[in-house]
Amino acid sequence: MDIGGGSGESDRRLFMDPTSRPAVVIDNGTGYTKMGFAGNVEPCFIIPTVVAVNESFLGQASAPTGKGGWGGSALHSAGVMADLDFFIGDEALARKDANAYTLSYPIRHGQVENWDTMERFWQQCIFNYLRCDPEDHYFLLTESPLTAPETREYTGEIMFETFNVPGLYIAVQAVLALAAGYTTSKCEMTGVVVDAGDGMTHVVPVADGYVIGSSIKSVPIAGRDLNIFIQQLMRERGEPVPPEDSLDISRKIKEMYCYTCADIVKEFGKHDKEPSKYIKQWTGKNSKTGTPYKCDIGYERFLAPEVFFSPEIYSSDFTVPLPEIVDKCIQTSPIDTRRALYKNIVLSGGSTMFKDFQRRLQRDIKKIVDTRLTASEFRNGGGHKAQAVDVNVVGHHMQRFAVWFGGSVLASTPDFYKACHTKAEYEEYGSSICRTNPVFKGMY
Amino acid sequence: MRALWHACTKGGGKGALPEEKNKLLPLQQPQLQHQLSQQQLLVAPTSLVKVESAMILLPGASRVLQQVLLSRLRSTEKPLEVDFHLTEFDDVRYHIKASAKEPKQVLLSISLPQSPPETVLSAGLPFGAIEAVKGAFGSVSQVVDPPENDYHLTLNVDVGSFPTDEGLADQLITKLASLRSVVLGAPLREILKHLATKTVAPDADRLVALMHRPRESYFVIPQAEKVTVVFPMRFKDSNDVILGTSFLQEFMEARRSPGLSTAPPCVWSPSPPLELKGAPGQALDANAGFVSFVIFPRHVEGDKLDKSVWILSTFYAYVSYHIKCSKAFMHTRMRRRVETLIQVLNRAKPEVEKEKKSMSGRSFKRAV
Repeated sequence: MDIGGGSGESDRRLFMDPTSRPAVVIDNGTGYTKMGFAGNVEPCFIIPTVVAVNESFLGQASAPTGKGGWGGSALHSAGVMADLDFFIGDEALARKDANAYTLSYPIRHGQVENWDTMERFWQQCIFNYLRCDPEDHYFLLTESPLTAPETREYTGEIMFETFNVPGLYIAVQAVLALAAGYTTSKCEMTGVVVDAGDGMTHVVPVADGYVIGSSIKSVPIAGRDLNIFIQQLMRERGEPVPPEDSLDISRKIKEMYCYTCADIVKEFGKHDKEPSKYIKQWTGKNSKTGTPYKCDIGYERFLAPEVFFSPEIYSSDFTVPLPEIVDKCIQTSPIDTRRALYKNIVLSGGSTMFKDFQRRLQRDIKKIVDTRLTASEFRNGGGHKAQAVDVNVVGHHMQRFAVWFGGSVLASTPDFYKACHTKAEYEEYGSSICRTNPVFKGMY
Repeated sequence: MRALWHACTKGGGKGALPEEKNKLLPLQQPQLQHQLSQQQLLVAPTSLVKVESAMILLPGASRVLQQVLLSRLRSTEKPLEVDFHLTEFDDVRYHIKASAKEPKQVLLSISLPQSPPETVLSAGLPFGAIEAVKGAFGSVSQVVDPPENDYHLTLNVDVGSFPTDEGLADQLITKLASLRSVVLGAPLREILKHLATKTVAPDADRLVALMHRPRESYFVIPQAEKVTVVFPMRFKDSNDVILGTSFLQEFMEARRSPGLSTAPPCVWSPSPPLELKGAPGQALDANAGFVSFVIFPRHVEGDKLDKSVWILSTFYAYVSYHIKCSKAFMHTRMRRRVETLIQVLNRAKPEVEKEKKSMSGRSFKRAV
């Protein structure tokens, strides 16, 4: 590293210090990736986490490689620059019908599955979307609470080796979601995060910024399952949606028309009484042939979000409703944190965006807690009145990218740069430093 | 990018990579595949739309700016407040801001990297930048004076006055999003314009230093029939120095292939070329050598000019981007190699005898 010569060197270094620039915050979710610079209120881009890879390049990954050589010739025939011939995000989705490209979803259920495409995805995020030099910025990445330490190491390796980032912090999504509500007046870092994204739903208790690992609960129902559920309902009713588009259409329907109802039976009644008010129309064009079609959107408007509250309508394997899981999660946490946890149940992720989701969840949890309280009072013979438990589900308008926003808030504090692992540390100790990340001390 | 393969597997002759990495590289040599990207870089606009779309060159327009301006122009929803602080490569910073009250007025500020001592600036901006900005966007925006605090130039863009024709508006937005190229590339554009008409500006110096990166410059030697552009290349990371050097060597080699005979000649040398005699010493201190291009009038004809300016003024970012891409590529190969090795290992495992069971779950083993 010799960028300067003679007397100018010291102040040149000073000026080049990456800590004087905003950190880059990238939240890679199963469905969408949110990325931007710290200090902003919104991420610059929210794009689907998907990569369209040139088939000829991809093909040799799985193809048997013959003796001795390992695909060198296959690579050659893959064409010029095939490894740069790929797209991410919406551009990738636009190419799903093109013959030469195959879609690859690098993250499944919150875990990185395909490191090749993940590395490429990051490469495009940094150079094409954010257009920054990774050597100039500290990076904040996120991970699901169940990520294995090895995965974290691997992420660190890619960031430090490929991109030469000067510093890296890998934060737990749940902690960031809590930090999204962090303001100078209220520094609450205790709460339960209900993070329902596209691939997985997690209920994560956090006490003073530390995740209580043993009480994390996961629900195998998330955004993608709702899409499938809507698709099923519409198919059973015989709506004329072209099969190749149906999953995408059901996603759009979910994002635009779905809401949470207070009582499922009453809601059916309402729909039947006034179909004109509740049943929506969807018009679209077949992506292949271009023929227009029309379909109705009926009960799926409230049935899809209902899957969280009565999962038995969707799956027979998993039947515990979300409120019960949240309650169980808090009940298994240390006893001295429970009241604080009930008080601050934070929603995050796109699948919690349904109208009135927050109210319904709060009502259901409250019901469970109150029943337990009265039962215990009854057992004690009614002599002792317990203090009522305050149940509070918090939602805010940034719910969809709460994790990103929390990251942006954290990364703009001066403490962030101290908590990061630096490239020097990486070179000294190796990737094992990425196994753990300190929780910010200055936060609470 | 395969240039690197080439260099590395020729027995480490030129770009000696660390030993163990060398071993992991393939024995079968894919032929030099880098040509195209050089062709792209040098011959500029025309040809090969498909390859171009595959991100070989960095796009000229900033996507965020494009997105914000587009949403201001087209969005039918209630406009929200927009306020973005962005940092681009080479320390160019933007601030784009629009209020909910006046959705059609967008404030766009740009800040430039700290200038190296050898470059000449006028009022904090590169020579001719203000004129270029006024020329390009005068009809839809005003230069705010003084610029926003901490920024070098602020434009007040009136989205309402954009052309109604969609194509024209899109062009304008792309141009606005390429503000950086207009401002930073202004002096180079001026010189190349003179080249296109085969004249030399009367007051032109023999050697012009232009701002490239924070505290770093590149040099331009304008002459009547050609312009020589010299980039001192510096990398922070020691691995990057090696990768970068072999990349640049291959880059130069690739120019010799028959398909690229019209591209500008390109020379890489480890020591400063003779043209740089007289340049200040600290500007000549480069750890990855010097790259020079000779630009002829045919490279800057018509609309090739804009693209040539953009490509030349972001040459470092281009090289650095490709170094990172090739590292990613190498990692892919390494992963694949590991996979095949693991396969071999798995095959070598002795088979464990499994207890066979009947349909009803009973085993055939007899109790002794």
